[in-house]
Amino acid sequence: MVDKKAFVLVTGASSGIGRQIAIRLSSTCNVVLNGRDMERLLTTKEKCSNTFEQVIFPMDLSNINGLEDQLSVFIREKNIEIFQFVHCAGYMKMIPLKMISIENINNTFAVNVISAALIIKVLINRKHNNAALKSAVMISSNISNFGAKAFSVYGASKSALDGFTRSLAVELAPKVRINSVLPGAIRTEMTEAVFADMETIQRMELTYPLGLGNTNDIFEIVAFLLSDKARWITGQQFTIDGGRSINISG
Amino acid sequence: MNNFRIELAEILEVDGVEKDELLSSFECWDSLTILSIIALAGENYNVTLSAADVNNSNTVGGLEELIKSKRR
Repeated sequence: MVDKKAFVLVTGASSGIGRQIAIRLSSTCNVVLNGRDMERLLTTKEKCSNTFEQVIFPMDLSNINGLEDQLSVFIREKNIEIFQFVHCAGYMKMIPLKMISIENINNTFAVNVISAALIIKVLINRKHNNAALKSAVMISSNISNFGAKAFSVYGASKSALDGFTRSLAVELAPKVRINSVLPGAIRTEMTEAVFADMETIQRMELTYPLGLGNTNDIFEIVAFLLSDKARWITGQQFTIDGGRSINISG
Repeated sequence: MNNFRIELAEILEVDGVEKDELLSSFECWDSLTILSIIALAGENYNVTLSAADVNNSNTVGGLEELIKSKRR
């Protein structure tokens, strides 16, 4: 039997942290680019390395009902194996409690948590992916262990993602390692509302001992955690936020 | 924008709002209420507002005009 080509799957590859991680990973391995906007996924693909292959898996991860089937079919049709997974897809709206709706809660949890669970379920399956998954990294948030006004739903979803990561790390060991990375605020399309005005940006900068970070700061730890260099690390949270969450100075 | 005043009244936790009323005169006027208005403008009117925008609009009518003008 001819070996199938091994790929890393990056969700949320059409913008922000996911796009940058996909582009950087493309110089060392084949990448499956997932996102909901085909045009933006093609832009990501254009920026990827020619040395390796990229295939596009267009799917809106808030549609969790068809996700398992569509991913299984995609893997079969492309005749590939997915051995690494980075869940960068994220849905964030700053919403105070009084404005919360069932729709917002459902969307947030579907994209941030449930889709990751269903994807990993497919990737560890012998029939669908030859049980090829070796390591996975969940992009969480430094809010996971803390709190902030208007972040209750988003924060809860990231806490859920990290809880999910810990239990799966135990359940899937020693075959699969799974860790989460907790970035501080990184300016992307998703967080544009947080960075709405200069005053807020300046105020935020003061609370980050190392200043504001960028998507490359997140890529470095993700690449490490995916690799065999991290062979004895699983179920852990890695906060990458320039010291923001340990800063208690007034 | 037909429902805007009803939606705003909901956020301000009152039965109704009038055009000339000062936003800061409402009892529950605080940073969370401002965030709620920003969320409302984004969700229902596809308009991005900053906290400063909301504060500078001063009145119910001012806020209404601001969102209308940004929709164009």
